[in-house]
Amino acid sequence: MTCEELIAHLSSYIDHEMDAALVAEVQEHIAHCRNCRVVLDTTQRLIVLVHDEGQRIIPAGQRSALFERLHQAFLNRPQTSDDSAV
Amino acid sequence: MNDESALIDGLRQRDPQAFTTFFETYADRVYRLAYSIVSNESDAEEAVQATFISALEAIDRFEHHARLGTWLYRIAYNHALMILRRRRPEESLPDEDDALPMPSALADWSTLPEDRLLSREAQAILRKAIAGLPTTLRAAFVCRDIEGLSTADCAQIIGISEGALKVRLHRARLILRERISEYFGEWVTPGNG
Repeated sequence: MTCEELIAHLSSYIDHEMDAALVAEVQEHIAHCRNCRVVLDTTQRLIVLVHDEGQRIIPAGQRSALFERLHQAFLNRPQTSDDSAV
Repeated sequence: MNDESALIDGLRQRDPQAFTTFFETYADRVYRLAYSIVSNESDAEEAVQATFISALEAIDRFEHHARLGTWLYRIAYNHALMILRRRRPEESLPDEDDALPMPSALADWSTLPEDRLLSREAQAILRKAIAGLPTTLRAAFVCRDIEGLSTADCAQIIGISEGALKVRLHRARLILRERISEYFGEWVTPGNG
């Protein structure tokens, strides 16, 4: 496996979407290629780091105002034809 | 009947408690997805509002074979894109047939201590790099690597094939890795990298 091929398959390897024969080729390559090993390690580290970005939430003041607006819209929702038939 | 079916039935019957559960379960997730597209709080809030209004209007027609979260994210993605196009109509989309650039930033920052990588400065660098990705790549990256949804769900939300989703995700990761390696690489002591 060349460096170009390894880079092309990097995400498949990280996401465990690669068949066993290719996995073995990747592992053999990175055992000998420092640069590809760094690219793999830093990409995996990046993916772990960005999970923290998943903590963003709606700012509290806006959240309650948004809830109130949508709650009113929900309660005032027009009846559908199916509902009115009941 | 599972929890999701009960929630959908509650929404159809205008049960206020069902609305509260619906909002509490999904509002922040929808906000994060929308924020990742529009990159500012007020537009992300507008997208959340539009998403919930659209969803509540369409809930009577929701089909149970779909998953509620995936369906809602798809609505959110489309609203966020509409808002973005209103703000930035000139943005061009990356050509996904272009050859992948080979990585050139090769400092090994992966072994830097956790407190360094999770510092406020590092997080700001990361957020800026994510915000700088082209929209199509950013959406794939946020959906898979930040929200942690499956490839199949993300493909459905964005409205592309799983293969196309994987291509976008891969490009996004390589671009991001390159950009943040340019910053983090400076923190690696020569000889340790």
